[in-house]
This record gives sequence, structure tokens and C-alpha cells, in this order.
Amino acid sequence: MGRIFSTLAHYLGVYREFLNTSFSQALSFRVHFILLIFMDLFFYASALLTVDYLYTHVEQIGIWNREQFLFFISFMLALDHLHMTFISESFWSLSFAIRKGDLDFLLVKPINTIFHVFFRHIRPASMCNLLVTWSLVIYYGRVCELTMVSWILLPFLLLLGLTLLVSLEILISTSMFWLVESFGINFLRMQFQHLARWPDFVYQTFSRRILTFVIPILLVGNAPVRFLFNAEDYWLLVWLAIMLLIIWVIAARLWDMGLRAYESASS
Amino acid sequence: MKSFFEMWGRTMEVKWSNLMTYRLNFFLQVFGPALVFFFIKYNLWSSIYGANPTAVIQGYDFQAMIAYQVWVLVIQLLGQGNDSMNLSEDIRLGRISSYLIYPFDFWKFHTAGFLAFQGMQFLLCTVLLCSVLAMGFLANLHFNALLQGVILTLLVGGLWFTLQYLVGLMAFWLEETWILRVILIIVAQFLSGAILPLELYPKWVQSALLYTPFPYLTYLPARVFMGDSGLFLSSLLVVGFWTLIMAGICTLVWKRGLRLYTAAGM
Repeated sequence: MGRIFSTLAHYLGVYREFLNTSFSQALSFRVHFILLIFMDLFFYASALLTVDYLYTHVEQIGIWNREQFLFFISFMLALDHLHMTFISESFWSLSFAIRKGDLDFLLVKPINTIFHVFFRHIRPASMCNLLVTWSLVIYYGRVCELTMVSWILLPFLLLLGLTLLVSLEILISTSMFWLVESFGINFLRMQFQHLARWPDFVYQTFSRRILTFVIPILLVGNAPVRFLFNAEDYWLLVWLAIMLLIIWVIAARLWDMGLRAYESASS
Repeated sequence: MKSFFEMWGRTMEVKWSNLMTYRLNFFLQVFGPALVFFFIKYNLWSSIYGANPTAVIQGYDFQAMIAYQVWVLVIQLLGQGNDSMNLSEDIRLGRISSYLIYPFDFWKFHTAGFLAFQGMQFLLCTVLLCSVLAMGFLANLHFNALLQGVILTLLVGGLWFTLQYLVGLMAFWLEETWILRVILIIVAQFLSGAILPLELYPKWVQSALLYTPFPYLTYLPARVFMGDSGLFLSSLLVVGFWTLIMAGICTLVWKRGLRLYTAAGM
């Protein structure tokens, strides 16, 4: 037990250093820092206004009214915000690291490679929008009259959705080891994010089943939000947990295979 | 004169060869996002109209809405596929020093690359359009509307290129320009009617947008493709006007930027 805690403390210490270096790096480029904040704000505004304009012409889309739909969008924006802040940058760096051979230096470090690769880069500028995304979640959550239990579970379910999204992205990113120019894989990853940003009922039956049960990208937001609205929809969360386990097993295997296939461009 | 065309031709060949070397990358970066965007919108509108199949939303029945979205897909591929990633890298990494002494200017090199890219996109769009027609998404396609739409979209491609070029030139002042590129895409997608037809926006937003180039990037070319031939000439003039303005701004920015250029990385 003591060993687990000391390992955890060690990794927390390393992560603190990641944070420090990311902050000092980000603050060296102030215009970049400010533009990143605006980029996120433009994105939030366009996502919310699109749905808002739609609902001025229709009363209901699928099973949700305007407020429920906007709560879902806000939930996804909050999830996306965490993703942008703590994870996203690392995927772009991975494709460069593999292409240029910089991954060599990460592989020899006395630390778990997956942790170093996917948690190394943090975007401090995006942290500034934390208040915006959570204000939206709280505002629409109140309008939708979420129960006390739902409010308590909300942050945990958001992290669960984020974990599924990141796990799927890691799975996709393992393909970078086999491709010479893997920049495009990041665009594939982003397309999955786009698909996840809409409620499952907007997709037609066949697509919905594929994107829920085979490539479970729709579970990222739909499983938590449906459960928050109605606890009887717990089965989607159960399926999310099962899929998470399956993805971790496959991703770990593919990661090992990928490392064996890695040709180390610089050496 | 012969060597002039030869230089353009050779540069375009190099670009084609680059695009073809990393085909999967090209597909994932250019074609994939537009297809997924269409897929989402097709499903969204199917779901909305599925609840009331005879509904007409701001003049669009289901078939008209899907036709609009198909044309948006074509316009995005043919008019908005290009990006300025290489251009800003050239500046940031100090590679433009070579262009300053070569007989083929920096802008010519990137414009030739853009033309090669457009050629490739044109072929892909032809295949796409044939597939879409075979699937029956476009019931009323008229040759005149198609021709006018293609001409307008190609000009929109020119405007998009100048916008991207301007963003790329910002590399003289900024460490990274990808954020500006993403902001341009987010704003353009939302304000050009790429997500929803502009008729669904509040009236005051529609009026304000007419003073900007955004509706001309997607909404108006889509309307021309759908048979609003009355919009063709005016749109052509406005897009041409904005393209000239942006090209002028690019020239000025290039001159100002060069003064700051330190040939870092040489």
C-alpha cells in the first residue's frame, strides 16, 4: 500500500513539473495565450448559437427540448474544455515525436511512457475558460431541474466521459506508429470528437448502433447526460464501463506492438 | 514565356506528387472532415424532418435542406480546402530566404501549390457529385446552375486562399498561426451558413452579415447551385472585390513582414 502511495506521489510530482513548464512556456507567448482563449470562446458561442437558432424554428429535436439539448451541448463543452486543457496538445506532439524520432528520449526515461506521452503538454490558456464552461453547465442544469444526486454525480460522470474519449483517442493514435506521416490521424481523432458532440438520437438507427456499440464514441456524452436526466437510463453507463475495459486492453496491446514497430527516425 | 509556364507547371507537379505521396493523410486532413461534417448534418436534418416529414422550415423542405447541405459539402471541398500551414512554416523556420533569391517568388510558389491543390479537389468533387447524383440526393440539377455554381465556388477558392495566405503571413509576428487558422474556420463555418442556412438566423444577423465576406463563402454559392441564378453576377462581383482587397492587404503585410524577417534557422 505504501509503495502505491509513493508511486502516486512521484507521478504527482512529475505532473506538477509538467504544469510548471507548460505555464512558463505559455506565458512566454502572450498573444498566443490570448488568442487561445478567444478561439475557445468563438467555438463555444458557435456551438450554442447553432442549437439556439435551430430551436427558434422547431419545438423539439428527437426526445429533448431546447434546454435539455443546450445542457447536453454545455456538458460536452465542459468535457471538451478539460480535453483541450490537459490532453489535446499531447496527441499533436506524439505524431511529431514519432516522425522525428524524438520518442526515443521519452522511452529511456524512468517513467511510464504512456503517462509521459499523453500528459506532458498542458494548455494553461484554456484554463481561463473554466468559469465559462461550468457556468453554462450550471445554468442549463438548473433550468433542466437536475436532482441533487445528479449534481453530485455530474463532475464524476464528466470525467468518466472524458476518460472514454481519451482512451478511444489513444487507441486511434497507436496507428501513428505504422504510418510515416501520421499528422492526419489527429484529424481522424477530431472527427470522432465532432461525432460525439451531438445527442445519439440525431443519428439514424444503423449509425447510432455502430457509434454506440462498436466504436462507442456516442457514449462519451450521451451515457452521462441521459443518466443525469433519468437514472433509469443507467444501462448506457454500464456499457460505457465495459467498453472502457475492452478499449484499455486493446490499446495496451496495440501500444506495445506499436513500440516494437517504431523505427526511431533519428537514429 | 515558355519558361514562365514551365516554372508554374513544375511547381504544381511537385505539389501533386507531395499530395499523392501521403494519400491517407490527404484524405484524413481534407476530405474526411468535410464528409463527417456532412454526415452529422444529414443525420441531424433527417432527425428533425423525421418528426414531421412535410415540414417546411424557412422555405426548406427535407429535400431542399439536404440539397443545400450537399452543395455546402462541394463548396467546402472546392472552395475552402486549402490551408496555409506550409506557408507559415516557411516563414517561421526561415525557409523563405531561398525564395528571396530564386527567380520564382514566394507568392508564386504558394499560388502554384494552391492551383495544383484545386485541380485535385476538382477531380474529387466531380467523383463526389456523380456519387451524390447516383444516390438521388439532388433531384433538380440544372446545367446552368451547376456551371454558375462551379465558377463562383472556384472564385470563392481564390478568396479563401487570400484569407489563408494572410493568416500564414502572420507568422512574421507570431510564433504559431494555427490558432488564427482555427478561429477563421470556426467563424467562417458559423457565419457563412455552412452549418445552418442563413435564413434560420435572426433577421438582424442576416442583415449585418451582408456587409461581410462570410455569406459569399458558402451560403450564396450554395443558393446559386440550387438555381438562384439572380444571385450569380452580384456574388461574383462581391467575391472578386473581396479577393482583390485581401490580395492587396496580403501584399502590404508581406512587405511589412519582410522588414522584420531575420532568416532564423538559416
